[in-house]
Amino acid sequence: MNNVVTKTLIVLQLVFSLCFMCFAGAVYTFQNGWRAKAEEYKKSADQFSRSLTDTQNARTEEAAKAVADIKKQQERAELAEAQVGQLQIDLKQAQTSLANAEQQRDKFQADLLVAQDEAKARITETNLSRAEIKRLRDQLNDGIAQRRSLEDQNLDRQGKIDESVDREQVLLKEVTRLRDMIRAKGFDPNEIYVGPVPAAIEKVNGEVLKSQKNASRSQELVEISIGQDDNIVEKMRLIVYRDNKYICDIEITDVMPDKAVGRVLEETRNGSIERGDHVTTKL
Amino acid sequence: MSQQNSDPTIYDSLMFVSLGALIVGITFWIMTLNNYGWSGG
Repeated sequence: MNNVVTKTLIVLQLVFSLCFMCFAGAVYTFQNGWRAKAEEYKKSADQFSRSLTDTQNARTEEAAKAVADIKKQQERAELAEAQVGQLQIDLKQAQTSLANAEQQRDKFQADLLVAQDEAKARITETNLSRAEIKRLRDQLNDGIAQRRSLEDQNLDRQGKIDESVDREQVLLKEVTRLRDMIRAKGFDPNEIYVGPVPAAIEKVNGEVLKSQKNASRSQELVEISIGQDDNIVEKMRLIVYRDNKYICDIEITDVMPDKAVGRVLEETRNGSIERGDHVTTKL
Repeated sequence: MSQQNSDPTIYDSLMFVSLGALIVGITFWIMTLNNYGWSGG
């Protein structure tokens, strides 16, 4: 009996020892690294928890920010509505001002048309005035030229007057000298002369048209360009000269209205007579 | 006094095997506990 129990216990011990060995081996084999996995999972869970917390905090902050933005946007919307109302009021005022401006513009346009018509009339009037001014200026220039001509004439006549005064002085001296001579000859210069008085000879200039000698070549006849119209009469003596050279005297034999014929006085001849020589009544 | 039989029997072998199995099991157990840092929980 004791032997059977001992054997049974030995067998049980063997069985339990084998079971223990197998169980321990199985545990070591299949559950090796469970701690690492558990720590890894725990770490992942902690990280996930932290990220979840951060996400929740961020969402909370975003929600608060969104609420603040909504409030801010509401304020902006209210402000914008107020501004829109103000702008509508301004728009109405601007429309009113625009209507007034258009009315004034129409008025100004009407005034402008009137002013343009008036300006056209002024332009026409100005052109007429310019033409009148031009005509008056031409008249003024003509008047100035005429005045200068008259001044020249006046100066010329003044010169002639001065020359006449000088000649008068010379003639007075000559008269005085002649009166003295007459008185020296025994005549009374104040005695009244009775008889024909030869006409005063005026200075007349002409020129020789033709000269020709007679058949016997004893006399030379000269045709001159002055005649009865120039107070040339028969028996009058004229002087023939060329430049400053005295040639001879001629005595008029025939007189026509615009020319005359004279005979050369041979005792006065100082040269030959040519066509174009000058003839004068006195030097 | 009776003479003791000193020849090993099959049961001695079984005892030796069970002891070996116990030692191997304890070794696995120690290695397992080493993995968990000697903490059972």
